Amino acid sequence: MEAVSSPPLRMEQVRFRYPGAAAPVLHDLSFTAEAGEGVAIFGRNGAGKTTLLRLAMGLLRGAEGTIMLSGRTAADALPEDLAHLAGFLFQHPETQLFERTVAAEVAFGPRCLGWDAARIDSAVSDALQEAGLEAVRNDHPWDLPGPHRRLVALAAVIASSPPLLLLDEPTAGVDRATRARVRDVVRRRLEAGVAVVAVTHDGEFALEALDRGLMLDGGRIAADAPVAGLLGAPGTPALPASAAIARGLGLDLARPRFDAVVAGLASHWPICA
Amino acid sequence: MSVLGLDTITFRYPSASADALAGVTLDVEAGETCWLYGAPGAGASTLLMVAAGLAPRFTGGSLSGQVRILGVDPVEESTRHDLRGQVAWIGTASDIQFSQVAETVREEIAFGPANLGQPMSRIDAAVGEALERLGIGHLAHRSPAALSGGEQQRVVMASMLAMSPALWLLDEPDAALDSAGKEIMARVLREEAGRGSAVVIATGDADAMLGRAGRIVLLDRGTIAFDGPPRQLLADELAWSRGPGGTSVAELARAAARLNPDPRLMAPYPLDFDEAMARWKP
Repeated sequence: MEAVSSPPLRMEQVRFRYPGAAAPVLHDLSFTAEAGEGVAIFGRNGAGKTTLLRLAMGLLRGAEGTIMLSGRTAADALPEDLAHLAGFLFQHPETQLFERTVAAEVAFGPRCLGWDAARIDSAVSDALQEAGLEAVRNDHPWDLPGPHRRLVALAAVIASSPPLLLLDEPTAGVDRATRARVRDVVRRRLEAGVAVVAVTHDGEFALEALDRGLMLDGGRIAADAPVAGLLGAPGTPALPASAAIARGLGLDLARPRFDAVVAGLASHWPICA
Repeated sequence: MSVLGLDTITFRYPSASADALAGVTLDVEAGETCWLYGAPGAGASTLLMVAAGLAPRFTGGSLSGQVRILGVDPVEESTRHDLRGQVAWIGTASDIQFSQVAETVREEIAFGPANLGQPMSRIDAAVGEALERLGIGHLAHRSPAALSGGEQQRVVMASMLAMSPALWLLDEPDAALDSAGKEIMARVLREEAGRGSAVVIATGDADAMLGRAGRIVLLDRGTIAFDGPPRQLLADELAWSRGPGGTSVAELARAAARLNPDPRLMAPYPLDFDEAMARWKP
């Protein structure tokens, strides 16, 4: 039985070395993702970002230190033991799609958790609606364009309502509309008290959807700060142009998210009819 | 010289109810960079697969019209062999493109030229150069399977580079890359165009095209809706009405103009930070 107060993810003094590698990829890494907290993981290619997510999901074993999901130790758990505690979106969603229809794909997780048919149906409908996929529910996932396949994988991950989402590059290679959809799904989950940990090179997505940024460098957390303050630092994505413009024009915004910059920009000049 | 020629290409996936490409005619010259821009499902990825001879070969479906690469038909079984090593197609899931037989990155990159029957000295030189140009020399002795997504993307690119292809067909090549990786990728593609390759890149990211050379082909439901300079399209309403929109700065101006129809906010929209600041803070 998990303690109600246990955070969705806690890592303490985690150290991990790939077999045969000369040096550990992660050293004494510690952080906690609380309920409702959105954490962006930044860092150069090869910094250990995906490794961190895989360790949290129990997809990689053999780390030293403590990894706890909602109070459950991940070290001795099989991925299926953790399936109700965390959802994992792979960098290439193709990796995780194998059913014949979008609806069946999304139903897979809840079905494996042993939910009854009515609960599965309702979870699938909600997830499809949230991801904007109702119109293609009977399509084969592989018949959809790449960005929409990513949404299918995301819908499948959220359908079983885990308290923690681990997302690896959730907006890589997607268009603006799909990115906005991913952003909305993440925001809604955060509001519902889910913790979201996302590896990303997309500064705009991080700023729009997440709160806190962790910068990995040399296997350690080199910085832990609000996303807006971290973007543009070495090893992090650039500050999105809209936020840079807000700064350049001296618009006084607490958080330079896109909609706030639009409103600030529109009121920068008197509105003429 | 035309490297890629598509003549009234129509393609439909098996059991699909509409054409993925409907009468596309496109010619890409040696040294040219051509961006395929469109919303999901517009046909950019499909066009790359048809050009590479992968569709309908591996996807099934029906194709009409004519594809020519360096004057050779890549679809036809009897002639496609002549294009060995000439066409570098990189899809969105780079990890499934590895040979699966190489134990190190160096072997992976050597796999292509070795299969072309090149002499060892030439393979070694090509592998060394590819490692260096993509900035992955430090990964040479690692296992391709154990690399991060962004590193794998660069290894796949290097393994194509080692064959000096005449035509690059790239589907969202920046997706998994950090900002340093994106710069390296852009530089290598610029160099490739410079030595006379044709480069065709599918993207849904308008910002990725700015500051980089090339023409933009806007695809909308399988047809070409625009073919011209990127800056012209991305400041125009057409980018929204028939495509996924303009750059993020253009999007910002457009959204603000809806709240305040001030001439400074109206089309043609500024495309990037510098243009916006020049207009809004003169």
